[in-house]
Amino acid sequence: MSKSVALKIKRQDSLNAPPRWEEFEVPWQEHLNVHAALMEVQRKPQTRDGKRVAPVVWDANCLEEVCGSCTMIINGRVRQACSALCDTLEQPIELRPMTKYPLIRDLAVDRSRIFADFKRVRAFVDLDGTHDLGPGPRYSPTMAETRYEMSRCMACGCCMEACPNYGPQSQFIGAASVSQARLFNLHPSGHMHADARLDALAEPGGVQDCGNAQNCVQVCPKEIPLTTSLADMMGATAKHALSSLFRK
Amino acid sequence: MAQYTEHEHDVLIIGAGGAGLRAAIEASAAGVKVGLVCKSLLGKAHTVMAEGGIAAALANTDERDSWKVHFADTMRGGQYVNNWRMAELHAKEAPDRVRELEAWGAVFDRTRDGKILQRNFGGHKYPRLAHVGDRTGLEMLRTLQDHGIHQGVDVHMEITIVSLIREGDRVAAAFGYERERGLFHLFRAKAIILCTGGIGRAYSITSNSWECTGDGHTLAYDVGAELIDMEFVQFHPTGMVWPPSVRGILVTEGVRGEGGILTNQEGRRFMFDDIPENYRPQTADNEEEGWRYTQGDRAARRPPELLTRDHVARCIVREIKAGRGSPHGGVFLDISWIKKKISHSEAHIKKKLPSMYHQFIKLAGVDITREAMEVGPTTHYIMGGIHVDADSQMATKVQGLFAAGECAAGINGANRLGGNSLSDLLVFGKRAGEYAAKFAKDHGATKVDDKQVDVAAKRTLEPFERQGSADGPYQIQHTLQEMMQHHVGIVRTDEEMAQAVEHLKHLRKQEAVVAVKGNREYNPGWHTALDLHNLLTVSEAITMAARVRKESRGGHFRADFPQKSDEFSKVNNVIRRDKNGAMQISTLPIPAMPAELEQAIKSEMS
Repeated sequence: MSKSVALKIKRQDSLNAPPRWEEFEVPWQEHLNVHAALMEVQRKPQTRDGKRVAPVVWDANCLEEVCGSCTMIINGRVRQACSALCDTLEQPIELRPMTKYPLIRDLAVDRSRIFADFKRVRAFVDLDGTHDLGPGPRYSPTMAETRYEMSRCMACGCCMEACPNYGPQSQFIGAASVSQARLFNLHPSGHMHADARLDALAEPGGVQDCGNAQNCVQVCPKEIPLTTSLADMMGATAKHALSSLFRK
Repeated sequence: MAQYTEHEHDVLIIGAGGAGLRAAIEASAAGVKVGLVCKSLLGKAHTVMAEGGIAAALANTDERDSWKVHFADTMRGGQYVNNWRMAELHAKEAPDRVRELEAWGAVFDRTRDGKILQRNFGGHKYPRLAHVGDRTGLEMLRTLQDHGIHQGVDVHMEITIVSLIREGDRVAAAFGYERERGLFHLFRAKAIILCTGGIGRAYSITSNSWECTGDGHTLAYDVGAELIDMEFVQFHPTGMVWPPSVRGILVTEGVRGEGGILTNQEGRRFMFDDIPENYRPQTADNEEEGWRYTQGDRAARRPPELLTRDHVARCIVREIKAGRGSPHGGVFLDISWIKKKISHSEAHIKKKLPSMYHQFIKLAGVDITREAMEVGPTTHYIMGGIHVDADSQMATKVQGLFAAGECAAGINGANRLGGNSLSDLLVFGKRAGEYAAKFAKDHGATKVDDKQVDVAAKRTLEPFERQGSADGPYQIQHTLQEMMQHHVGIVRTDEEMAQAVEHLKHLRKQEAVVAVKGNREYNPGWHTALDLHNLLTVSEAITMAARVRKESRGGHFRADFPQKSDEFSKVNNVIRRDKNGAMQISTLPIPAMPAELEQAIKSEMS
């Protein structure tokens, strides 16, 4: 018998439907990743015991771990399916959807909250395009490198999934949003609105809701120094609050 | 009567990649109500995968650069069948668009004195690509998305548009379904911008994501717009060939820009064997000079690995066919060899090409700082698309319909230079947003014809009502992709394309009877069945235009007509749907260029 890869997938037709587990088996290939294994299942949606079922639903896009779409929980760890090689995983490979976002179907979840939180911390630069930009600001290669690390964020949701303080019941915005605020505060024109971002971070659900569990930095697929961002913004927020107190 | 949810916008944008987001930002800044519809999640569009950089004549790294040189490079790359007005606007406006992106918060690699650093790329005379390591697309999309979401744009995610609704000679609305629940939506709008990207999924080996199924091309064609230059498809020379699950994924040209070399099984740098006449004066004739060029020696000429993509792809195919390829059917791309030239090459490679390092170590188990990669051509980009007015980006035959980015055509001619697509998205995304907003302000609301909506809804649901078909939607898609790859691929002949026409007729018949099971809720089989119409339409257009152009030019190579012809140097192919619904082709003469632009090209040639 030829080699195969076994998958155990948590299926759920919609948010309020009852979950169920289904097992699949797909032919082995060298360097097969979980996304490609799911594609095999989609081509032939038949369980191990021969039952025809609806094709499994999951999000995917770039397939090279740049977009973060295919994030799910694989053998208990939140990560991207495209960069999870089957040969490195214990079988059957257990796939579950992320738990911190509303379920859409099977392994697909609704992550729009991440964008709402980016907006909340003002992770953008206000510019109306009416003035001449000139040759642009100069900033040092060192600064570019510091910002570079944070700019790798693809809003995949891993850091939030692993965070004990983040979830449907909590207002905490999570490490990704805090790090985005820091990314923009370090930008020459973004810096003009640094105070507004610090004010947003001081609101309920802001940076002080971080419990310092440090799970985020361990699961980040882009190795973003999230705990550095959290500590830095916690300090900056406290300092900003104190100085505004004195100015009143 | 079809059941649907209605939305009303001044400007509706279909597609949330770089062009769509840039258009949304511009239209919204003009004070009109903007809606943005996309098939996947926000921020995950195909632009995210762009690696190398944004081409713009900032002249930071080499002050000899200017818009005129960029213009001349773009025209030469496109083999002079480009829309010269678009190439001019693009070269002139790209620097401002890059500076604007930076002002909005984007990170770029810096020069020592703090300016935006620019890198070498194929076909560009000077180092011109503003970049962020090798993940420029993600940075661009993240910045545009962050900037766009606070501007009050209504984002409708995970919706596929299947039909545009007409009112006389004007577009009035877009009709589509929610991928999640299968429910219908109707978007009324005074102006609509198509920013749907490419057609890569019509081929079996492609760097394109699942979203690139030619939706915008087909929506525009179906509603009466013209498609031009459809024969010009770009096969990127370096895609991954191994392991099978990542076949086709892009390996950035940046690898060659940083000194990477192409070799065959015998270890020979085969690119030195075939340097086209018109590039000979600016191409290095020895390995040493090529290396010096990649390290910033301004007196050196570029290595032949950095010739245009079409040429490099054909050279690779030649090596593979001659039996000199790598074990898995590609050739070798080696950056690790630079350890002979610089001391800490390992750290240098990881710093310059971080995503490539990551991609190969994670997906293929190959450490590119120590060993060569295996690469081969992959379907990457279509130069052809919706025929638009150069200044406003409005489609030629449909009022109020605009297009920008890959689904629009003109700027790239017969072949696109690397880096010119990210700048194209910014320059023409902005223009489309600006002119669409203006059109919306100048024109009243549209009336939607219920009959057209009913027809669209009925067509969308038909696959459920059919009795069952011999082949399911995935099988038909797979057959089409293999067929296009083999019959209308990198090297074309009339004989093979005549067979392709017969295959396409047969596949159309199958598409018309394809059945799907289940219900409308998140049904990927149904989505694939509906995509088939788009994939078939663009495949038919590519094949038809490729048969008519009896010459070889840029991305279009005919083994039966291997030379360029004077006759075809003066025309573009235009495709339209005739009154009876049949595909029709005609040629359009290229207008004469103004003296200033002629001069820019001439002075660069000497």
